Amino acid sequence: MPQTQTKGKTFATDTAVDFVIIGSGIAGGSVARELTSRGFDVLVLEQGREVPPEDMEHDEIGAFMSSRWTNPPETSPQTFRKTPDAKAEKRQYLQYARVVGGTTFHFTGNFWRLRPIDFNEFSKHGAVAGADVADWPITYEELEPYYTAVEEAMGVSGEISTAPGEPRHSKPYPLPPLDVTGPGVLLEVGAKKLGWSSKAAPMAILSRPYKGRQPCHNCGFCLAFPCEWGAKSGSNWTMIPDALKSGRCEVRSNSYVRKIETDDSGRVTGVIYFDKDKTEVMQKAKAVVLSANGAETPRLLLMSKSNRFPDGLANSSGMVGKHLMFNGNVVANGLFEHEVHGHKGPVVTRITQEHYVPDPSLGFFGGGGIDMRFDVPALIRTLGMPVDGPEWGSEWKTRMRNWFTHSAAAYGHTTSLPVATNSVSLDPDLKDAWGLPAIRTTFKDHEHDIRLYKFFQDRAKELLGAAGAQKVYADPIPDEPGSAVHLLGTARMGNDPKSSVVDKFHRAHDVKNLFIVDGSSFVTSGRGQPTMTIQTLAFRAADHIAQFAKRREI
Amino acid sequence: MKNPMPDESTVSRREFVTGLTALGAVWLTAAACAKEAPKAVDSSASGIMPMANDSTSVPQALTHFTAEQAAELEAIASRIIPTDDTPGAKEAGVVYFIDQAMQTGGVAADQGPLFAAGLESLAKAAAKQHGATSKFSTLSAEQQDTLLKAIEKTPFFGAMRFATIAGFLALPKYGGNKDFVGWKVIGQEHTYEQKPPFGWYDQPDNQKALLGRVL
Repeated sequence: MPQTQTKGKTFATDTAVDFVIIGSGIAGGSVARELTSRGFDVLVLEQGREVPPEDMEHDEIGAFMSSRWTNPPETSPQTFRKTPDAKAEKRQYLQYARVVGGTTFHFTGNFWRLRPIDFNEFSKHGAVAGADVADWPITYEELEPYYTAVEEAMGVSGEISTAPGEPRHSKPYPLPPLDVTGPGVLLEVGAKKLGWSSKAAPMAILSRPYKGRQPCHNCGFCLAFPCEWGAKSGSNWTMIPDALKSGRCEVRSNSYVRKIETDDSGRVTGVIYFDKDKTEVMQKAKAVVLSANGAETPRLLLMSKSNRFPDGLANSSGMVGKHLMFNGNVVANGLFEHEVHGHKGPVVTRITQEHYVPDPSLGFFGGGGIDMRFDVPALIRTLGMPVDGPEWGSEWKTRMRNWFTHSAAAYGHTTSLPVATNSVSLDPDLKDAWGLPAIRTTFKDHEHDIRLYKFFQDRAKELLGAAGAQKVYADPIPDEPGSAVHLLGTARMGNDPKSSVVDKFHRAHDVKNLFIVDGSSFVTSGRGQPTMTIQTLAFRAADHIAQFAKRREI
Repeated sequence: MKNPMPDESTVSRREFVTGLTALGAVWLTAAACAKEAPKAVDSSASGIMPMANDSTSVPQALTHFTAEQAAELEAIASRIIPTDDTPGAKEAGVVYFIDQAMQTGGVAADQGPLFAAGLESLAKAAAKQHGATSKFSTLSAEQQDTLLKAIEKTPFFGAMRFATIAGFLALPKYGGNKDFVGWKVIGQEHTYEQKPPFGWYDQPDNQKALLGRVL
């Protein structure tokens, strides 16, 4: 059984490779692709395994119940508490895929650009008590060429909208929208009735053959499932293969980094990782790019403390791990007269961003977008059926069948505020299967966020009603948070080394040859879907990192 | 975002099954250790036609429960998802799903006592109300439903309900959903490819009527 992906190059551990990238998700994969294309040698270390296409099953138990792709509680337990004064309890709160490709291995593929307002909210709207809202050190216009490059590299499907508030696109989407689904039509019906703007959802799923890859075959097993066709543009199908094709990249899977090593001068010298047999390996590097996601990135920095960096690496600001954000997510379900059959096709095909920037007089910060979807297949959709009568027996069975064929969900995706106490830290007691400190999450929604979620759930219900739903179901917004998958803000970007971890080029303020590029760089959460911006930041960062390297400024 | 998957968050908010999803997650973990060796990708058909191992049915046999226990489990499952004008838990082989989940690895075995005790307690109730020689499985449907209603808030019934739905709709390799019969009942096809129009609303004529245009 080969331990690693053997395609591409093989680097010696005792010779410093140009760049070691920690993480093979959309950020790490993109940096690998962009740096190799500029002539650098790159070693990608991935803590998870490589999954061959023949293992990409339509397996709901694996995807939702037994951590087949995600960080498993058996070996990587976590703890959770709402506030810093509480004792954290064991709970698998933060979720991410632990495989080559990272979470884009099984993501939904929502590929929204952020808008100019998402980068300067502090200037536009001012401070919010209890949160650390700040402007990003970069603007939408600085990112725009990289957004366009990402769309081209990934083959994003979509259609530019002319609705007010839409950001500037310098080029059209490379592929037309995906085939519209029943929920997509219902979104349009509701939006039309309400007078809301709507558009084809920008999706990182191919609607046509592209760069040797197959288009979407509408199988319906999408959210939380890998794409056996390679049509969903996860890092494993796009960025990683491109990097390997360069001949300058090695992807070493089952390699779990426990420390980034530094010397007396404060420079990174390499990384120490466990291989699949839990044997420690020291890999030398000229520079390190940390792209391990918004949970594992701060954890590794905190675990990489030394005499010179007693509070963790790159943490002189004390900001590492702080300002954890998820994007709010609310849902309402509707039952319709005719067959929706939303279990066929992609999860999302149409969205409305009518409420991207709601009226400030409503009394909350932020905004978001809404899609209509049928997000999970047979088993999970059935287990999630609302209580509305008997819960077993013939009557329930009839309702179950109708629910599967005639229902759709409206999902709101929103801002969440950067609150300093919402954080990832090292649990003082609990260890993982490698003896390393477990992730401890502290998280409580800001009161503005709760108001925002309620507003969006009301809009979701309104949309379903306008689309003709015969019944609308919505659970109350929980006062206790659930689990979370968008992991943002924990190594925030900024010009001031006292209040941020990385500069505007993703270089750690404290360490010249360490770059941190993933969701942790976000200053504010944006309004709903962060993956495209994570990748765009990675494209931009790699462009600058390559220039620094060529000028010997690393 | 907060996890959009209505597994833990949605289900656990429902009093009826409080805590059961977590329970299911634990005892299904072991079941997830697939028995089948993956088949290779068949690239001969239409370019790259993926043929993952999820089309396989597992031979149905009991290894954890006795035939007597299995008959009782099947009787309960058949009241949760009855056989009516469409197949039910019995035809899907739900009991084999439960049996397989219990047998593999130590974690699933942990749930054995819950099921054994639940069966025993139900047998006592059946005997008490309908005579010493009565078993749950030999009672009428109405009698069975009355007994189940009395225990529907117990962990055992919750776990049985969860397992019955899972055994009806999870991949056949987990032991149930025989020949995808559960999927057929709800309208989920076993295929890697679907073609539009998918349902009523996205049919071009209906789009035109609803929206005045075709998206």
